Amino acid sequence: MGKDGLVPTPYALPEPTALGARRPVRRMVRPVQGRRLGGVCAGLAEHLNLNVRHVRLAFIVASLGGGAGIVAYLFLWALTPQGLEVTQVADADAMAVSRPAHESVRNLLVGLGLLVVGGVLWAQQHGLNLHLGVSFPVLAVASGAVLAWSKLDDNERERWLVRDIGSGGRRVALIRLVIGITLASGGVVVLATQGLGLAGLWSVGIAAVAVLAGAALIAAPWGVRLWGELRAEQAQRIRETERADIAAHLHDSVLQTLALIQRKSGDPAEVVRLARSQERELRGWLYAGPVGSQASLASAVTEVVHEVEDLHGVPIELVVTGDRALDIGGSVLVRALREALLNAVRHGAPPVSVYVEMGSELVEAFVRDHGPGFDLADVPQDRLGVRESILGRMSRHGGSARVRRLEHGTEISISVPVSAVSPPVAQPDWGIQAEVAGQTGTTSQPDS
Amino acid sequence: MNEPLSPDDTVIRLVLVDDHRMFRSGVKAELDESMVIVGEAADVDEAIVVVAQTRPDVVLLDVHLPGGNGNGGSDVITGSNGVTTESGEPVRFLALSVSDAAEDVIAVIRAGARGYVTKTIDGRDLTDAIRRVAGGDAVFSPRLAGFVLDAFGAAAGEVAVIDEELDRLSAREREVMRLIARGYQYKEVAKELFISIKTVETHVSSVLRKLQLSSRHELTAWAVGRHLL
Repeated sequence: MGKDGLVPTPYALPEPTALGARRPVRRMVRPVQGRRLGGVCAGLAEHLNLNVRHVRLAFIVASLGGGAGIVAYLFLWALTPQGLEVTQVADADAMAVSRPAHESVRNLLVGLGLLVVGGVLWAQQHGLNLHLGVSFPVLAVASGAVLAWSKLDDNERERWLVRDIGSGGRRVALIRLVIGITLASGGVVVLATQGLGLAGLWSVGIAAVAVLAGAALIAAPWGVRLWGELRAEQAQRIRETERADIAAHLHDSVLQTLALIQRKSGDPAEVVRLARSQERELRGWLYAGPVGSQASLASAVTEVVHEVEDLHGVPIELVVTGDRALDIGGSVLVRALREALLNAVRHGAPPVSVYVEMGSELVEAFVRDHGPGFDLADVPQDRLGVRESILGRMSRHGGSARVRRLEHGTEISISVPVSAVSPPVAQPDWGIQAEVAGQTGTTSQPDS
Repeated sequence: MNEPLSPDDTVIRLVLVDDHRMFRSGVKAELDESMVIVGEAADVDEAIVVVAQTRPDVVLLDVHLPGGNGNGGSDVITGSNGVTTESGEPVRFLALSVSDAAEDVIAVIRAGARGYVTKTIDGRDLTDAIRRVAGGDAVFSPRLAGFVLDAFGAAAGEVAVIDEELDRLSAREREVMRLIARGYQYKEVAKELFISIKTVETHVSSVLRKLQLSSRHELTAWAVGRHLL
């Protein structure tokens, strides 16, 4: 192909320049390497250009003073995505950039959480002594929430949406979610039933469930909408990929052939051959090929017809009814058919048509051309060979062949009895088929 | 064909319906002066309007068309139901396709088209086919004949005992279909079977009727699963 043959792909996906051009936002990630606990301190230090030790020390100090450090650590741990390997930080950034508006919701949550923590700390400093009985359930709630939310970031959610993920990872995530929710709601209930008996526990538990149900009811439409949007987005992406695939295929096949045809416009035979083979290729791609397996008689016939078409650039109209497995009898018929076709293409005139009927007792093939026909008494020299390889071959294998002169053209008919061929393709028992094929092999001479 | 096919050499009024303008002009160039194109349309809705206005003898109908209910040519036929020519004959449809997906072809035939030919047909054969359809006969390409033989189980030897049976072909219809599948013209079929061309046409029309009315379940199943190569 020269340079002029290179046609730009029309529907190729545009490069994501609009996204890539955006100023990359540095996002805090928890590094995998160099972490002690959850990688929060390391990540924070990296993000703020601080010494890791100082950050760790600050957290420990803050934790000693009322546990604020622990709470802050847990929040950061839950809401910071885990970083990739150091070499892939750039990729992580790119991923972070393409995140949707979901980010603002998260920021809101972080803000609220910090507000709550601040409020609690402020209350404690002003004489409200928080005992272990209170802070323990709070911790349970917090860790439950962390457990439930920690892995539910964008990547995870995407994987949840994609159905064909290995069910193992999904199950683990689900277990985490369930445990987290149980822990959090258990903590809430214990917190609310401070000093109450078992009866109080029950009533508060029921109230908590009622509140949760109410909240779920309120949040449901929003959740459903979000879910729907995500599905739509994903479907759109799949469509675009398919479109790009189709564009690529058309570019590689049809457009290249068209370019070739333009160059060879002076050679009609070549143009016909190119157009015909391209048509076939496109049909095969669109309709996933001819019916039947590779080893079926119909596909063998189709193959031979296409081969002759390509050799001589003469279009051949092919009609096939029924199908059966290909074996010796069938391949003899196919070889004879090939000779007949070559004969029709060389000596006859188009249109050339082939009809192959695979009946219950007989497989018949008819090759018809519209040439001037020939007188049987005045057979040209080269037709003797054709006759040998068609008539002779068929009679050797228990079939028959006949050449007829019609008013417009010639028709060669070939037939093989079904007993010499094989049972229909639809028959599921391959053992029996192999047996029949073997029998055919012993009764008929190998063709050479 | 050497002799005129139509007993009265009247001019046939034609409407071309195809969404490819290049194909329409190609057809126009190929047809002889016994055909006059009175209208053209590129989609289903336009086609229904043009057919109702011009009341042609024959509509050359692409199987795949934009618009309508999304069923292409079938929608045009349904939408033009009851439209007649000035002489009171129903407007006839000849389906034309490159698709060869059996379900499309069978859908347009069952909607009421009088025949089906592929777009690779040459000008003479097309003129011939249009004349036949204008005269109320059916036109079967070799592929459509092969399809009928396969779908009705005739290739496997199933033959109707009485001619009126809708789900099977009669022995004679099977013979006619086989010869058409082998690439024979109607005249050659008639000669081969020692019957008149008129009788061949009757058989083909009867097969077309069976194709349109039969509820043979394999017909649809077959069509969905296959493509006329």
